[in-house]
Amino acid sequence: MSKLEVKDLHVSIDGKKILKGVNLTMNTGEIHAIMGPNGTGKSTLSQAIMGHPAYKVTQGEVLLNGENILDLPVDERARAGLFLAMQYPAEIPGITNAEFIRGAVNARLPEDKSLSIRKFLKKLDKTMQVLDMTEEMADRYLNEGFSGGEKKRNEILQLMMIEPKFAILDEIDSGLDIDALKVVSRGVNQMRGPEFGSLIITHYQRLLNYIVPDVVHVMMGGKIVKQGGPELAKRLEDEGYTGLRDELGLDIKLVDEEA
Amino acid sequence: MTIDVKKYPAIAEYAKETAEPAWFTELRIQSLEKAAELELPSFEKIRYQRWPIQLQQPLEKRNVQKELLEENDFEQTENMVVQVGQATLELKLSQEMRDQGVIICDWQTALHEHGELVQKYFMQKAVKFDEDRLTAQHVAYMTSGLFIYIPKNVILKDVFTSYFIQDATTKADYVHHVMLIVGENSEFSYLENLKTIGTEATTANIIVEVIAQENSHVKFASVDRLGVKTTTYLNRRGYLEKDARINWSMGMMNDGKIVGDFDSDLVGDGAHSEVKIVAISTGKQVQGIDTRVTNRGKHTIGHILQHGVILSRSTLTFNGIGHIIKGAKGADAQQESRVLMLSNKAKGDANPILLIDDNDVTAGHAASIGRVNQEQLYYLMSRGLPKKMAERLVIIGFLGPVLATIPSKAIREQLKLTIERKLIDGQKDE
Repeated sequence: MSKLEVKDLHVSIDGKKILKGVNLTMNTGEIHAIMGPNGTGKSTLSQAIMGHPAYKVTQGEVLLNGENILDLPVDERARAGLFLAMQYPAEIPGITNAEFIRGAVNARLPEDKSLSIRKFLKKLDKTMQVLDMTEEMADRYLNEGFSGGEKKRNEILQLMMIEPKFAILDEIDSGLDIDALKVVSRGVNQMRGPEFGSLIITHYQRLLNYIVPDVVHVMMGGKIVKQGGPELAKRLEDEGYTGLRDELGLDIKLVDEEA
Repeated sequence: MTIDVKKYPAIAEYAKETAEPAWFTELRIQSLEKAAELELPSFEKIRYQRWPIQLQQPLEKRNVQKELLEENDFEQTENMVVQVGQATLELKLSQEMRDQGVIICDWQTALHEHGELVQKYFMQKAVKFDEDRLTAQHVAYMTSGLFIYIPKNVILKDVFTSYFIQDATTKADYVHHVMLIVGENSEFSYLENLKTIGTEATTANIIVEVIAQENSHVKFASVDRLGVKTTTYLNRRGYLEKDARINWSMGMMNDGKIVGDFDSDLVGDGAHSEVKIVAISTGKQVQGIDTRVTNRGKHTIGHILQHGVILSRSTLTFNGIGHIIKGAKGADAQQESRVLMLSNKAKGDANPILLIDDNDVTAGHAASIGRVNQEQLYYLMSRGLPKKMAERLVIIGFLGPVLATIPSKAIREQLKLTIERKLIDGQKDE
């Protein structure tokens, strides 16, 4: 079992404070969801954990199995077991999807254990079937010209091939129709198990009907303000974030709120 | 004009030894005399004039030890030539090509057996022998080359591959000429590999002339890997008649100083040239690449795409020149030059130059010097790829549009490996 801990995390971007003391602990075998209104720092949390250079951690720590990973470069965090399915994956022409995924899978294996091409292709083929992806997607250039939905599937494909300890899914549901959402959820649910944990960031409760979380965190104003079970997500869907904010007596202006 | 060959004993000796035709020897001497008066060519922002780029060694026939070659691996194909220095070690031409009247031979054979064709085209149409000092020196000192003649109405699907290996195990100038004549309605695909063996400081002067006759299609691809101590003038020029087309794909993977002068003259109406170039500069290397397309005929199309990467303390200059001559109605000149910088100490330049003398035309340009895209790098690293490997992947992607146009998969893979090796070497200095 592995453990991911975020302790009193403060993060700024371009000098602007976004996260103001986030605390969160999760173990493999668990699925956590972070919900919250737009502009509240959900994506910032995911990028800060992964190590995007534009996000500056000004205070606090992120521990993976007790070791602070904040001093590690992005690639080492990935090899230590973190994965971030991005909201806006980069497009990289000239490298095929298959070529890239194989590189990524082998990057975390010791040289003498690297996956043979045959084994790799077999696994890739099988995984792509789970995600209803056509074979030609493997030979296309990495994300180049992919539709929004194709990009999201491709993120989950990488997740399933790489098999990280912890996967953060950053608004993996945005822009997906209901069928695509089911497919993506099927992939994530297949990953569920004692050696896998996931932190699902979403604005909507809808995704959580398909991937049922063990813990739901609500984030507002750069902090986690409430925790609960799946029922918390349902309540938010019914009452909205404003209700919860007022109940908690928070003095936070929500971006989406009408002036 | 009378020329006294005896005044030039080295040339006279060489001519005797190789039994070259008198007209050719006279052209050498005429060129040598002209060279003294002519200026070195000038290219925008490429200062090479003080390099040891001028030819000075007397003409001399040199033999090559065949054992040199064994260190070099090249792919055996049905249609190929291997030349080391002045010597041709292997020349294979399929029966199919022979049956269709295709002529491919080394330079001495061409002079002896196809003198009329050579005399008609050699340094007369595409490049002129008296154009500048380097072209004149080329004619005066030329000692090796290849002659290719494709008759009209011949469609060849198979690629012809040449391996030209510059011998730098001795201090000998390398003066090499390729003459490629593709007849009316014919199609030909050619792949050229330039390489150096040995590490002596040498000068290379290489000219490739492509005459694309009416409605012919030529695919010209090259992978150039001249050595670190070879200083090179490399001129490749196409002369395109009506509706002719040349697709150029060049991988400039040299390690030494080089001036690349790549021109297409779109003489006939409807002629079309696509020029794609990738270049990597490493170490303290200086590469200047001057690519020009001249639209003379009506409705001619000239497109230039150049992508380069610079590492360490190297320099890379891309000039893209689109010149539309008055009267070339409906002509189109487009170009894009981009340089990716991996080092603060490297110098890159991309100069778009459009010279337009007619109104009824379309033209455009894009040029940039930039760094590796940080979002792409972050994305790749977030999947566990180490930074340098991620950088190399992004770069190979950046060079992709040109790599994809190399006709042979084997060469494409080999070029990819060459790029990887150059990048890995270059990254060590970062």
